Amino acid sequence: MNTAWMRSPKGEVREVEGTAAALTPLMAAGWHQVPPPPEETPAAPAPQEKK
Amino acid sequence: MANIQELLNCWSYGKQTAIGAAQTVGNMWRQTNLNTKPWAKVPVNEDDAAEIGKGHEFATQLFKSHYNMPAYEISKYLSSEWAAFVMAFSLGNVTLTGSTAPYTYVCVPALGATNTTGLELPYFSFVQQIRPGGSSILDEILIGCAVKSWKLAVKNSPGRASAMLSAECVTTGQYTSPSTITVPAASLLHEMNAGTISALTINGTNYLSGGSAAQFVSLDMSYDNNFRPGFFPGSGSQDGYQIQGRFEWGDRTLGMQLVVRVQHGSGEYAALIALTTGASTITFTRDSGNSLELQIQKQGFKVAELTNTDGIVTLSITGEQLYDPTNGLLTATILTPQTGICQ
Repeated sequence: MNTAWMRSPKGEVREVEGTAAALTPLMAAGWHQVPPPPEETPAAPAPQEKK
Repeated sequence: MANIQELLNCWSYGKQTAIGAAQTVGNMWRQTNLNTKPWAKVPVNEDDAAEIGKGHEFATQLFKSHYNMPAYEISKYLSSEWAAFVMAFSLGNVTLTGSTAPYTYVCVPALGATNTTGLELPYFSFVQQIRPGGSSILDEILIGCAVKSWKLAVKNSPGRASAMLSAECVTTGQYTSPSTITVPAASLLHEMNAGTISALTINGTNYLSGGSAAQFVSLDMSYDNNFRPGFFPGSGSQDGYQIQGRFEWGDRTLGMQLVVRVQHGSGEYAALIALTTGASTITFTRDSGNSLELQIQKQGFKVAELTNTDGIVTLSITGEQLYDPTNGLLTATILTPQTGICQ
Protein backbone atom coordinates (compact mmCIF):
# COMPACT_ATOMS: atom_id res chain seq x y z
CA MET A 1 0.00 0.00 0.00
CA ASN A 2 1.37 3.40 -0.97
CA THR A 3 1.39 6.05 1.69
CA ALA A 4 2.19 9.73 1.92
CA TRP A 5 3.44 11.81 4.81
CA MET A 6 1.13 14.76 5.31
CA ARG A 7 1.46 17.88 7.44
CA SER A 8 -1.56 19.66 8.87
CA PRO A 9 -1.87 23.45 9.00
CA LYS A 10 -1.15 23.17 12.74
CA GLY A 11 2.02 21.17 12.18
CA GLU A 12 0.88 17.63 12.91
CA VAL A 13 2.66 15.09 10.66
CA ARG A 14 0.90 11.84 9.86
CA GLU A 15 1.40 8.92 7.45
CA VAL A 16 -1.72 8.56 5.32
CA GLU A 17 -2.91 5.97 2.83
CA GLY A 18 -2.16 7.27 -0.67
CA THR A 19 -5.70 7.15 -1.99
CA ALA A 20 -7.96 9.97 -3.07
CA ALA A 21 -10.52 8.94 -0.48
CA ALA A 22 -8.04 9.24 2.35
CA LEU A 23 -6.17 12.26 1.07
CA THR A 24 -9.01 14.46 -0.19
CA PRO A 25 -10.49 15.53 3.19
CA LEU A 26 -7.03 16.30 4.53
CA MET A 27 -5.83 18.19 1.46
CA ALA A 28 -9.09 20.11 1.29
CA ALA A 29 -8.43 21.17 4.87
CA GLY A 30 -4.98 22.44 3.99
CA TRP A 31 -2.77 19.46 4.69
CA HIS A 32 0.13 19.10 2.28
CA GLN A 33 2.74 16.47 1.54
CA VAL A 34 6.08 16.56 3.32
CA PRO A 35 9.12 14.29 3.06
CA PRO A 36 9.07 11.27 5.34
CA PRO A 37 10.74 11.90 8.67
CA PRO A 38 14.22 10.42 9.07
CA GLU A 39 14.15 6.95 10.50
CA GLU A 40 15.17 6.79 14.11
CA THR A 41 18.37 4.82 14.52
CA PRO A 42 18.70 2.80 17.69
CA ALA A 43 21.06 4.33 20.17
CA ALA A 44 24.53 2.79 20.03
CA PRO A 45 25.44 0.75 23.12
CA ALA A 46 27.62 2.61 25.53
CA PRO A 47 31.28 1.55 25.30
CA GLN A 48 32.32 -0.72 28.13
CA GLU A 49 34.68 0.77 30.59
CA LYS A 50 38.14 -0.75 30.67
CA LYS A 51 38.97 -2.27 34.00
CA MET B 1 12.41 31.47 -43.00
CA ALA B 2 11.01 28.41 -41.33
CA ASN B 3 7.83 26.42 -41.36
CA ILE B 4 5.92 26.33 -38.09
CA GLN B 5 6.25 22.55 -38.10
CA GLU B 6 9.89 23.06 -37.14
CA LEU B 7 8.88 24.57 -33.82
CA LEU B 8 10.02 22.43 -30.88
CA ASN B 9 8.21 22.74 -27.56
CA CYS B 10 9.75 21.53 -24.35
CA TRP B 11 8.83 22.41 -20.81
CA SER B 12 9.64 21.37 -17.31
CA TYR B 13 7.43 18.91 -15.50
CA GLY B 14 9.43 19.70 -12.38
CA LYS B 15 8.50 22.92 -10.65
CA GLN B 16 10.94 25.78 -10.40
CA THR B 17 12.42 26.50 -6.97
CA ALA B 18 11.47 30.15 -7.41
CA ILE B 19 9.67 32.22 -10.03
CA GLY B 20 12.96 33.49 -11.44
CA ALA B 21 14.94 30.24 -11.29
CA ALA B 22 14.79 28.24 -14.53
CA GLN B 23 14.43 24.47 -14.35
CA THR B 24 17.12 22.20 -15.75
CA VAL B 25 16.82 19.96 -18.79
CA GLY B 26 16.81 16.84 -16.62
CA ASN B 27 13.34 17.80 -15.42
CA MET B 28 11.94 18.63 -18.84
CA TRP B 29 10.02 16.76 -21.46
CA ARG B 30 9.47 17.45 -25.12
CA GLN B 31 5.89 17.27 -26.29
CA THR B 32 3.90 18.23 -29.32
CA ASN B 33 1.25 20.93 -29.27
CA LEU B 34 -1.81 21.45 -31.44
CA ASN B 35 -1.42 25.22 -31.07
CA THR B 36 0.20 26.35 -34.30
CA LYS B 37 1.75 29.51 -32.89
CA PRO B 38 4.90 30.08 -30.85
CA TRP B 39 4.59 31.82 -27.48
CA ALA B 40 4.97 35.48 -28.42
CA LYS B 41 7.00 38.01 -26.46
CA VAL B 42 5.46 41.46 -26.56
CA PRO B 43 7.64 44.31 -25.29
CA VAL B 44 5.57 47.47 -24.94
CA ASN B 45 6.88 51.00 -25.46
CA GLU B 46 5.24 54.23 -24.41
CA ASP B 47 5.71 57.83 -25.53
CA ASP B 48 5.49 61.39 -24.26
CA ALA B 49 2.49 62.51 -26.34
CA ALA B 50 0.42 63.37 -23.26
CA GLU B 51 3.10 65.55 -21.67
CA ILE B 52 2.54 69.32 -21.74
CA GLY B 53 5.46 71.62 -22.44
CA LYS B 54 6.60 70.42 -25.83
CA GLY B 55 4.56 72.99 -27.74
CA HIS B 56 2.52 70.37 -29.59
CA GLU B 57 0.55 67.21 -29.05
CA PHE B 58 2.86 64.87 -30.90
CA ALA B 59 5.19 62.34 -29.34
CA THR B 60 8.88 63.11 -29.45
CA GLN B 61 10.37 60.21 -27.50
CA LEU B 62 9.89 56.50 -26.89
CA PHE B 63 10.31 54.85 -23.49
CA LYS B 64 10.56 51.21 -22.55
CA SER B 65 7.55 50.10 -20.50
CA HIS B 66 7.00 46.41 -19.80
CA TYR B 67 6.75 42.92 -21.25
CA ASN B 68 3.10 42.20 -21.94
CA MET B 69 3.27 38.46 -22.34
CA PRO B 70 0.10 37.03 -23.87
CA ALA B 71 -1.42 33.89 -22.44
CA TYR B 72 -0.41 30.82 -24.42
CA GLU B 73 -2.46 27.71 -25.00
CA ILE B 74 -0.93 24.27 -24.93
CA SER B 75 -3.57 22.17 -26.63
CA LYS B 76 -3.23 18.40 -26.47
CA TYR B 77 -5.08 15.15 -26.67
CA LEU B 78 -5.75 13.86 -23.17
CA SER B 79 -3.02 11.64 -21.76
CA SER B 80 -2.16 10.55 -18.25
CA GLU B 81 1.12 12.49 -18.27
CA TRP B 82 -0.41 15.70 -19.56
CA ALA B 83 -3.36 15.41 -17.18
CA ALA B 84 -1.00 15.05 -14.22
CA PHE B 85 0.93 18.13 -15.31
CA VAL B 86 -2.14 20.29 -15.85
CA MET B 87 -3.93 19.28 -12.65
CA ALA B 88 -0.83 19.58 -10.47
CA PHE B 89 0.26 22.97 -11.75
CA SER B 90 -3.25 24.46 -11.91
CA LEU B 91 -4.63 23.22 -8.58
CA GLY B 92 -1.47 23.54 -6.52
CA ASN B 93 -1.92 21.09 -3.64
CA VAL B 94 -0.35 17.88 -4.95
CA THR B 95 0.40 14.56 -3.27
CA LEU B 96 2.60 12.06 -5.11
CA THR B 97 2.70 8.46 -3.97
CA GLY B 98 4.38 5.34 -5.28
CA SER B 99 7.99 4.21 -5.36
CA THR B 100 7.75 2.63 -8.82
CA ALA B 101 5.51 3.22 -11.82
CA PRO B 102 2.65 3.82 -11.95
CA TYR B 103 2.71 6.85 -9.72
CA THR B 104 -0.40 8.37 -8.21
CA TYR B 105 -1.03 12.10 -8.11
CA VAL B 106 -3.87 13.46 -6.02
CA CYS B 107 -4.48 17.15 -6.67
CA VAL B 108 -6.90 19.61 -5.07
CA PRO B 109 -7.13 23.40 -5.21
CA ALA B 110 -4.66 24.87 -2.73
CA LEU B 111 -5.90 26.96 0.17
CA GLY B 112 -4.39 30.42 0.44
CA ALA B 113 -4.29 30.20 4.22
CA THR B 114 -2.14 27.07 4.25
CA ASN B 115 -0.36 27.01 0.88
CA THR B 116 3.39 27.27 1.47
CA THR B 117 3.67 29.84 -1.34
CA GLY B 118 0.62 31.89 -0.37
CA LEU B 119 -1.59 32.64 -3.35
CA GLU B 120 1.04 31.53 -5.85
CA LEU B 121 1.01 28.23 -7.72
CA PRO B 122 4.05 26.25 -8.85
CA TYR B 123 6.03 27.67 -11.76
CA PHE B 124 7.58 25.86 -14.71
CA SER B 125 9.99 26.73 -17.53
CA PHE B 126 9.06 26.62 -21.22
CA VAL B 127 11.53 26.17 -24.09
CA GLN B 128 10.76 26.91 -27.72
CA GLN B 129 13.23 26.40 -30.51
CA ILE B 130 13.42 26.53 -34.28
CA ARG B 131 16.72 25.23 -35.66
CA PRO B 132 18.66 25.63 -32.41
CA GLY B 133 22.37 26.13 -32.81
CA GLY B 134 24.54 28.71 -34.45
CA SER B 135 21.90 29.86 -36.93
CA SER B 136 18.76 29.42 -34.84
CA ILE B 137 15.58 31.21 -35.78
CA LEU B 138 14.11 30.86 -32.30
CA ASP B 139 15.79 29.54 -29.17
CA GLU B 140 14.63 30.74 -25.79
CA ILE B 141 13.56 29.56 -22.39
CA LEU B 142 10.68 31.40 -20.76
CA ILE B 143 11.09 31.45 -16.99
CA GLY B 144 8.29 31.68 -14.46
CA CYS B 145 5.36 30.12 -16.33
CA ALA B 146 2.12 29.12 -14.63
CA VAL B 147 -1.08 27.35 -15.65
CA LYS B 148 -3.85 29.93 -15.58
CA SER B 149 -6.72 27.74 -16.73
CA TRP B 150 -7.63 24.49 -18.43
CA LYS B 151 -10.44 23.03 -20.48
CA LEU B 152 -11.40 19.39 -20.83
CA ALA B 153 -13.64 18.65 -23.80
CA VAL B 154 -15.25 15.24 -24.25
CA LYS B 155 -17.59 14.44 -27.10
CA ASN B 156 -19.22 11.63 -29.00
CA SER B 157 -16.68 11.14 -31.75
CA PRO B 158 -13.97 8.70 -32.69
CA GLY B 159 -10.27 9.19 -32.24
CA ARG B 160 -7.99 11.20 -30.03
CA ALA B 161 -9.94 14.44 -30.52
CA SER B 162 -12.82 12.95 -28.56
CA ALA B 163 -11.01 13.91 -25.36
CA MET B 164 -8.98 17.11 -25.42
CA LEU B 165 -7.21 18.84 -22.54
CA SER B 166 -5.93 22.35 -23.17
CA ALA B 167 -4.08 24.59 -20.74
CA GLU B 168 -3.78 28.35 -20.95
CA CYS B 169 -0.43 29.41 -19.55
CA VAL B 170 1.09 32.75 -18.56
CA THR B 171 4.68 33.85 -18.09
CA THR B 172 6.49 36.71 -16.43
CA GLY B 173 8.47 38.08 -19.35
CA GLN B 174 11.79 36.80 -18.04
CA TYR B 175 13.67 34.70 -20.56
CA THR B 176 17.11 33.53 -21.62
CA SER B 177 18.16 33.37 -25.27
CA PRO B 178 19.75 31.19 -26.45
CA SER B 179 18.21 28.73 -24.05
CA THR B 180 21.33 26.48 -23.88
CA ILE B 181 18.84 23.60 -23.58
CA THR B 182 19.36 20.47 -25.67
CA VAL B 183 15.78 19.38 -26.16
CA PRO B 184 15.33 15.71 -25.21
CA ALA B 185 13.62 13.11 -27.37
CA ALA B 186 9.85 13.36 -27.56
CA SER B 187 8.08 11.88 -24.55
CA LEU B 188 5.96 8.78 -24.89
CA LEU B 189 2.45 9.73 -23.83
CA HIS B 190 -0.35 7.40 -22.82
CA GLU B 191 -3.38 8.97 -24.42
CA MET B 192 -6.94 8.37 -23.32
CA ASN B 193 -9.77 9.07 -25.72
CA ALA B 194 -13.48 9.10 -24.89
CA GLY B 195 -13.64 5.38 -25.51
CA THR B 196 -11.59 4.82 -22.36
CA ILE B 197 -14.14 6.46 -20.08
CA SER B 198 -14.94 3.98 -17.33
CA ALA B 199 -17.15 6.14 -15.10
CA LEU B 200 -19.40 9.05 -16.01
CA THR B 201 -21.85 9.94 -13.28
CA ILE B 202 -23.18 13.46 -13.08
CA ASN B 203 -25.29 14.46 -10.11
CA GLY B 204 -26.59 10.95 -9.54
CA THR B 205 -27.15 9.92 -13.16
CA ASN B 206 -24.89 7.28 -14.65
CA TYR B 207 -24.44 8.08 -18.33
CA LEU B 208 -22.45 4.92 -19.07
CA SER B 209 -24.97 2.23 -18.22
CA GLY B 210 -28.57 1.65 -17.32
CA GLY B 211 -31.42 3.82 -18.55
CA SER B 212 -29.23 6.83 -19.32
CA ALA B 213 -26.48 5.02 -21.25
CA ALA B 214 -27.52 6.49 -24.61
CA GLN B 215 -28.03 10.05 -23.42
CA PHE B 216 -24.48 11.48 -23.39
CA VAL B 217 -23.52 13.93 -26.15
CA SER B 218 -20.69 16.08 -24.78
CA LEU B 219 -19.10 17.40 -21.63
CA ASP B 220 -16.89 20.44 -21.13
CA MET B 221 -15.12 21.14 -17.87
CA SER B 222 -13.03 24.19 -17.13
CA TYR B 223 -11.01 25.68 -14.32
CA ASP B 224 -9.55 29.19 -14.13
CA ASN B 225 -7.18 30.69 -11.58
CA ASN B 226 -7.97 34.24 -12.78
CA PHE B 227 -4.47 35.45 -11.96
CA ARG B 228 -3.99 38.99 -10.73
CA PRO B 229 -1.49 41.21 -12.58
CA GLY B 230 2.02 40.64 -11.23
CA PHE B 231 3.65 44.04 -11.68
CA PHE B 232 4.83 45.65 -8.44
CA PRO B 233 7.84 47.59 -7.14
CA GLY B 234 10.78 45.27 -7.53
CA SER B 235 9.00 42.79 -9.78
CA GLY B 236 12.04 42.80 -12.04
CA SER B 237 13.06 43.73 -15.56
CA GLN B 238 14.26 42.14 -18.77
CA ASP B 239 15.98 44.16 -21.53
CA GLY B 240 14.97 47.30 -19.64
CA TYR B 241 11.29 46.35 -19.66
CA GLN B 242 9.42 45.62 -16.42
CA ILE B 243 8.34 42.01 -15.97
CA GLN B 244 5.83 40.39 -13.66
CA GLY B 245 7.17 39.00 -10.40
CA ARG B 246 4.28 36.84 -9.28
CA PHE B 247 1.03 35.26 -10.36
CA GLU B 248 -1.47 35.19 -7.53
CA TRP B 249 -4.78 33.46 -8.06
CA GLY B 250 -7.90 35.62 -7.95
CA ASP B 251 -11.45 34.30 -7.68
CA ARG B 252 -11.01 30.78 -9.00
CA THR B 253 -13.81 29.21 -10.99
CA LEU B 254 -14.73 25.66 -11.90
CA GLY B 255 -17.28 25.06 -14.64
CA MET B 256 -19.08 22.18 -16.30
CA GLN B 257 -21.33 22.10 -19.35
CA LEU B 258 -23.13 18.89 -20.18
CA VAL B 259 -25.23 18.10 -23.24
CA VAL B 260 -27.46 15.04 -23.02
CA ARG B 261 -30.20 13.62 -25.16
CA VAL B 262 -33.69 13.94 -23.76
CA GLN B 263 -35.67 10.76 -23.25
CA HIS B 264 -38.81 9.75 -21.40
CA GLY B 265 -38.11 10.04 -17.73
CA SER B 266 -34.99 12.21 -18.09
CA GLY B 267 -34.22 13.37 -14.59
CA GLU B 268 -32.16 16.47 -15.28
CA TYR B 269 -35.08 18.95 -15.14
CA ALA B 270 -36.37 17.39 -11.96
CA ALA B 271 -32.90 17.56 -10.42
CA LEU B 272 -32.64 21.25 -11.29
CA ILE B 273 -36.05 22.14 -9.86
CA ALA B 274 -35.52 20.07 -6.73
CA LEU B 275 -32.09 21.68 -6.19
CA THR B 276 -30.65 18.19 -6.07
CA THR B 277 -26.92 18.08 -5.48
CA GLY B 278 -24.43 15.26 -5.53
CA ALA B 279 -20.93 14.27 -6.54
CA SER B 280 -20.00 14.10 -10.21
CA THR B 281 -17.29 11.77 -11.47
CA ILE B 282 -15.65 11.27 -14.81
CA THR B 283 -12.94 8.62 -15.06
CA PHE B 284 -10.71 7.72 -18.00
CA THR B 285 -8.95 4.37 -17.67
CA ARG B 286 -6.53 3.38 -20.40
CA ASP B 287 -5.01 0.52 -18.40
CA SER B 288 -3.90 -0.29 -14.86
CA GLY B 289 -1.14 2.30 -15.05
CA ASN B 290 -2.84 5.21 -16.78
CA SER B 291 -6.01 6.88 -15.62
CA LEU B 292 -7.59 10.19 -14.72
CA GLU B 293 -10.47 10.65 -12.30
CA LEU B 294 -12.05 14.05 -11.86
CA GLN B 295 -14.46 14.28 -8.97
CA ILE B 296 -16.57 17.38 -8.42
CA GLN B 297 -17.43 16.90 -4.79
CA LYS B 298 -20.83 18.55 -4.89
CA GLN B 299 -22.78 19.83 -7.85
CA GLY B 300 -26.26 20.90 -8.76
CA PHE B 301 -27.72 22.23 -11.99
CA LYS B 302 -27.98 25.97 -12.61
CA VAL B 303 -29.51 25.95 -16.09
CA ALA B 304 -31.05 23.21 -18.22
CA GLU B 305 -31.97 24.48 -21.65
CA LEU B 306 -33.96 22.41 -24.11
CA THR B 307 -32.33 22.49 -27.54
CA ASN B 308 -31.24 20.15 -30.34
CA THR B 309 -27.90 18.71 -31.35
CA ASP B 310 -27.58 17.40 -34.89
CA GLY B 311 -31.33 16.90 -35.01
CA ILE B 312 -31.63 15.10 -31.66
CA VAL B 313 -33.55 16.82 -28.87
CA THR B 314 -31.06 17.59 -26.13
CA LEU B 315 -30.65 19.38 -22.84
CA SER B 316 -27.74 21.77 -22.44
CA ILE B 317 -26.98 21.77 -18.74
CA THR B 318 -24.81 24.19 -16.82
CA GLY B 319 -23.54 22.76 -13.57
CA GLU B 320 -23.26 24.71 -10.35
CA GLN B 321 -20.25 23.47 -8.39
CA LEU B 322 -20.53 23.77 -4.64
CA TYR B 323 -17.79 23.66 -2.02
CA ASP B 324 -18.23 20.65 0.20
CA PRO B 325 -17.20 21.36 3.81
CA THR B 326 -15.38 18.02 4.07
CA ASN B 327 -14.04 17.24 0.62
CA GLY B 328 -13.70 20.70 -0.89
CA LEU B 329 -14.41 21.48 -4.53
CA LEU B 330 -12.56 19.17 -6.88
CA THR B 331 -10.19 16.21 -6.64
CA ALA B 332 -8.12 15.06 -9.59
CA THR B 333 -6.48 11.65 -9.28
CA ILE B 334 -4.03 10.56 -11.94
CA LEU B 335 -2.09 7.33 -12.44
CA THR B 336 0.85 7.71 -14.79
CA PRO B 337 4.28 6.19 -15.40
CA GLN B 338 5.91 9.64 -15.10
CA THR B 339 7.30 10.59 -11.72
CA GLY B 340 8.47 14.01 -10.53
CA ILE B 341 5.62 16.07 -11.92
CA CYS B 342 5.36 19.34 -9.98
CA GLN B 343 8.01 18.11 -7.51
